[in-house]
Amino acid sequence: MKVITGVVGNDIHVVANRLIDLSLQARGYEVFNLGVNTYLEEFFDAAVETGAEVLMISSLNGEAEGWAREVKLLKAKYKQLDELIMMIGGNLVVGSGNTEDIVSRYKNYGFDLVCHQVDLNTGLDSLEAFINDGKIKERCQ
Amino acid sequence: MSRENEKLFIDIGSTYFKLSTSEHLEQHFRNFNKDILDDLTHKCGNIIKRFDKNDVHICSSANGGLSALIIGISQSFSLKYAANIAFNSGINIIDTVLYQNIEEYTPPSDLIDVVIVVGGINSHDNIFSASLYQYLASLNYSNIVFVGSEKEVPAIKDNIENVVILPNIIDDRLHIVEKYLKEFLTNLYQQDIEGKEDIKHLYDITANQIFSTPYIVNKALPFIDARFSVVNPFILLDIGGATTDIHYSKDLVDDNIVTENEYDRLVFKKLGVYKSRQSLIFAAKENEFVYELLMHLKVTENIFDEESEKATKILMQLAIFLVLCKMSHYKKAYINLKLLAINSIVLTGGITKVLNIDEIENIISFFYKKILTSDHSPATILDSNYDIWTLGAKEKELCQ
Repeated sequence: MKVITGVVGNDIHVVANRLIDLSLQARGYEVFNLGVNTYLEEFFDAAVETGAEVLMISSLNGEAEGWAREVKLLKAKYKQLDELIMMIGGNLVVGSGNTEDIVSRYKNYGFDLVCHQVDLNTGLDSLEAFINDGKIKERCQ
Repeated sequence: MSRENEKLFIDIGSTYFKLSTSEHLEQHFRNFNKDILDDLTHKCGNIIKRFDKNDVHICSSANGGLSALIIGISQSFSLKYAANIAFNSGINIIDTVLYQNIEEYTPPSDLIDVVIVVGGINSHDNIFSASLYQYLASLNYSNIVFVGSEKEVPAIKDNIENVVILPNIIDDRLHIVEKYLKEFLTNLYQQDIEGKEDIKHLYDITANQIFSTPYIVNKALPFIDARFSVVNPFILLDIGGATTDIHYSKDLVDDNIVTENEYDRLVFKKLGVYKSRQSLIFAAKENEFVYELLMHLKVTENIFDEESEKATKILMQLAIFLVLCKMSHYKKAYINLKLLAINSIVLTGGITKVLNIDEIENIISFFYKKILTSDHSPATILDSNYDIWTLGAKEKELCQ
């Protein structure tokens, strides 16, 4: 299964990005890592070029929210991405916040799986469960 | 005969031609009533006679360049990569088509020299369908090349007559592969030159391949600091009679294209002060800041109707302003350069014969203040003696 991953926006947390890449590969995914400082449009375009089934965005400095608001609008412009599994993880807000609120907010932005301050392996387990069952078996937290 | 190893470099532009030997450089306004070779030998026959055909090197932009239409499946990868390769091969892009919306595009009526179809990494399939073939059937083109997913090749071959299949320009890590398409397009340019009556006669005086001028200029850029006090990152503007070429340091773009090129090229096809004069004036009138600029230059728009030296100067200054606008974030284009990071702006081409450095700096300063609200002031360098194309031609000749 093909996965597009990368760090969205003006965020240069390259170590986490590399760890995600390696962990996905270890689980047998074919990974296309767009690296840090990636624009939202590049994520979707990469999914079109590769035929990827999963788009996994990471963000560590809370910047994701500014970009995530654009997800639904931008994704709607693409005609072949209806089946794309959208996942986001990392530190998704600036400062602190209620996890349930944060998860709910990001799902409204258009993500199927939201992992706010969740351990990487737990997050990837939830992706597998989602893929296997076609729905979220358990929430990240 | 020429001294051993001495070379003659000739650049045929749309308006002027220039000759360079180790001793001197000269340029002449072209006589459009004459064949280029006749005009050249009439004006510079004595110099040309001194050189053996093997020692004459010619570059030209006078055949108008090739037009291309690119059909790709995403803006950030297939269309962007193909456009980048095409620009760097000296091609003038006329249009790009995003495949998912192909049915919404009106096919261009002009003859297209080459159609480039691209999309998908090699493991991706079922990308193109009947809508592509229907669209292609409505086009008038001379060549077509496919540089997308290899899994699509059988269907493409079955449905498109005379299609040339080349290796994918997108590798399995989504990186660009330039080599094969660049070679194909460069050869196509060569064939175009050989096919054009006016240019092919030039092979009577040279035994070497005639290259496109932007290709030669691009070759010179890594060595430019040998002749000029240029500080990277810089842009080079070649504002000529028919087109304007921009060569820019890759540091000036936030880009997902990873190549060995230090400099990329972009061309504005109908932006020039002689053959493209009317379209330049049209573009100027469309720009909301132009009237302020004219006021700044102490002229009115009546200058557009004049045929004076002053009018040519104003048009050149407008061209600089419009080019900078087109590359800034003020206008969304194929690329937007980080203009505030530029340390040097180098100008070559016909503009160096019309404007002095103060007149150019006046416009650049106006642009930065008005559009970017900044006092940034990159160093301006004029290539008045066409050292850049001479350097590029020599580098190319040394590489052969």
